[in-house]
Amino acid sequence: MKDIAVIGIGVTKFGELFNMSYDDLVRDAANQAINDARINTDEIGAAWLSTAFPEIGVYKGRSGMDLSEPLCMYNIPVTRVSNFCASGADAIRNAVNSLRAGECDVVMALGVEKLRDRQPQDSIVKMMVEYGHPFLQKGFTAAGTFSIYAKRMMHEFSLKQEDIAEISVKNHYHGSLNEKAHHRKSCTLAEVMSSPMVADPLTVMDSCPTTDGAACVIMVRAEDVDKSKHNPIFIKGIGLSVSTGWDLPFFDPNHDFLSFEATRTAAQMAYKQALISKPIEELDLIEVHDCFSIVELLTYEDLGLCKKGEAKDMIRGKETQLGGKIPVNVSGGLLSCGHPVGATGIRMVTEVVNHLRNNAGKRQVNGAKRGLTHNIGGPGAIASVIILSNENY
Amino acid sequence: MSYIKSYGVAFPSFRIDDNVLHYIGKKSQSKAICFSDEDLITLAYESSIECVKTQYSSIDAVFFATNSPVFQNRYHSAYIADLLGINNNALYLDFIGTNRCSTDALMIADQFVNSGKYKNILLVAADVKYAEIGDEIFSSSGHAAIAVHISNETGIAKIDECFNVGSSISEEFIYKNNELKYDPRYIREIGFKKNIEEVVDKIKKYNESCQKVILNSKYSKLAGNLFIKSGFKEQQFAVDTISRNIGNVGSSHVFLQLIQEIENGTNSILLIDYTNGSNVILINNCKSLGILKRKIEDYKKIESYQDYLKLRKVGNFNSSKYKSKEIFSSEMMNDREKSAFIRLIGIKCKNCGTCYFIKTEKCKKCKSQHFETVKLSRTGQVYSFTREHYFPVAFPPVTMLVIDLDGGGRVTLQQTDCISPENNKIEIGSKVRLVLRKMIEQDYKPNYFFKAVVIE
Repeated sequence: MKDIAVIGIGVTKFGELFNMSYDDLVRDAANQAINDARINTDEIGAAWLSTAFPEIGVYKGRSGMDLSEPLCMYNIPVTRVSNFCASGADAIRNAVNSLRAGECDVVMALGVEKLRDRQPQDSIVKMMVEYGHPFLQKGFTAAGTFSIYAKRMMHEFSLKQEDIAEISVKNHYHGSLNEKAHHRKSCTLAEVMSSPMVADPLTVMDSCPTTDGAACVIMVRAEDVDKSKHNPIFIKGIGLSVSTGWDLPFFDPNHDFLSFEATRTAAQMAYKQALISKPIEELDLIEVHDCFSIVELLTYEDLGLCKKGEAKDMIRGKETQLGGKIPVNVSGGLLSCGHPVGATGIRMVTEVVNHLRNNAGKRQVNGAKRGLTHNIGGPGAIASVIILSNENY
Repeated sequence: MSYIKSYGVAFPSFRIDDNVLHYIGKKSQSKAICFSDEDLITLAYESSIECVKTQYSSIDAVFFATNSPVFQNRYHSAYIADLLGINNNALYLDFIGTNRCSTDALMIADQFVNSGKYKNILLVAADVKYAEIGDEIFSSSGHAAIAVHISNETGIAKIDECFNVGSSISEEFIYKNNELKYDPRYIREIGFKKNIEEVVDKIKKYNESCQKVILNSKYSKLAGNLFIKSGFKEQQFAVDTISRNIGNVGSSHVFLQLIQEIENGTNSILLIDYTNGSNVILINNCKSLGILKRKIEDYKKIESYQDYLKLRKVGNFNSSKYKSKEIFSSEMMNDREKSAFIRLIGIKCKNCGTCYFIKTEKCKKCKSQHFETVKLSRTGQVYSFTREHYFPVAFPPVTMLVIDLDGGGRVTLQQTDCISPENNKIEIGSKVRLVLRKMIEQDYKPNYFFKAVVIE
């Protein structure tokens, strides 16, 4: 397989961007990436658009043309990718494969979501209430589907609610250092624990906000990198796995609610490609899909950073804090940056690229050489793992 | 000869004391009140399941009696039969509109079985009627359902005789939604007393042989003398204690009184059901199943009038626009998937024995593609759970339970029958039972699905 290089990244401010339209977000992220890559739009040979929920947003992003139109980028293949919250990472995977297949020489993957034009209850909760099967899953919010895991982990591994809340404290601290994050205020354990309960044991501050935002990457084959104008970061591994369904986890007697099989298999794919055998030794930073703080905790185990049941020791030992053994979510994660669904997977890649370029400002992980992004979708049914390196080994 | 082969009773789990409804109410009086997701259909379903158990294939007719129908132009009997999985060739009849409809149905069932054409008839009587707001204390409406299996095979009682004494006088009735009443003294003399006299004349021959007389009428206290004059003794009169505990439960009331007498050990009972004339039924050789007594004693209390109003959905006490919204469901999907979702027919891997509630192409455990159907159990244990504080329900938070069913299979569904979260003692490992409850599609048409209640 040919090696792929990220040559341009762009990410908008994340937040309640009431003065920006869907198209404005697309233009902002795309133009940053195009300028960073020092190319012009006409050089892009194919593009992928990731918007997960047009129907609960502004009905934009239902096809590739919603990327073409704001950028006047016509007469090339443009495809919309939808794979729930893992849509962003999947857009990158598709773009990478296009380069590998030789379809074209320069590709764009752009994720964008405009959720805040609707009230939160009109978006995600409404989807759960009004659509889908009347029996299967009726009663769940997104938080609930993950708090079921939290309850079981607390039961099995003597995990405490404090351990889960510490994830939120850590990520909000990291987020306070990120000028593009939705919430830029650090918080205390007591604040997380005493914020309103959403789904037992997850509180409001254990849950990511719904956010507007966009992120974009431009990629070429490593052999086409022009060292005189590009600052390339290489994609060394990319795995995506769909391991269960929307309903099945809740009706499958084999499911233990302690782990996401999708994360484990996607990580195996990526580790194999990137020749990684001891992730905790060989990676310098990780962006994890912390839509709810329990997911980050559970993912430490699924990514093989620690043994089953030992994730709580990592957070208790502050190993994943900036300056710790392996910093996780130094961007502030979804908890702090927010979660414009289609953009999240791509935003993670831009974050890691910034660190590998030694360009992440106050939150820079010193000497970072290799980083990993982890993006999940559905109730942990889909997962993507991407491994990036500043050396093409 | 026809027999009552078995019976099943369903009460809502909640009761409200009269003194909670109004300070002049008596504490010793209470009414059974449906939870916000219970109705006529869910009660009828639960009583039928208890009555028929698994012998659905033998049922060749279903009769449904109610004075508070939820459907018009749709047969409740057919609807219940479908939920239960009774075969499509059975006879379905509804008896609707008077409190006597349940014994009307019993008399017809008796005739049908005696004719030899029908062998097993499931008769369900249910009523869920609410009093006017503010008028609850003066109305005795309670909620209940009872199912009776009438068969040509012996069971818990023998139906010896059935007859009807007709009358044109109805003491109180409804004409075009207006409640009408005659002058009380007129109806007593020309109505009730005159009608009962005719009945007594025909039954006085049983004054020695029958142990108890049940007279189901709100005027029954006026009838004592007439019976005593004809040779009955005062202690032969059955005392109605159902009204005190449950309320007057309409069409099922007469059967509840009958079952109560049977469970009291009475062998020979004369049942008189009075509304605009009388149905008289002589029942002998009675045997108790001991169901009713247990159920009367098993309940939770509604502690405040406000909670009661919430159950009735009269007041919207939540500011958020979704909190009072009922949950969307699909009628077509319901019909398509009813074998699994209503009748709990799952699949079992022939290789490793894992049971699945929802269809699957391959066993997730052993990858085998060979399955057989299996009837899943309605009881199980909580594997994990969460309390959802932001999901729209009448009594938040709603608790979602992941349940491992006894004998295999896993389901995830809502817990119900919870008014106050602080009294909800659910935890991992709790034993639960699935109960059929309603969800409303766009506030119009309820669909019925399983939820779970904790078994003490």
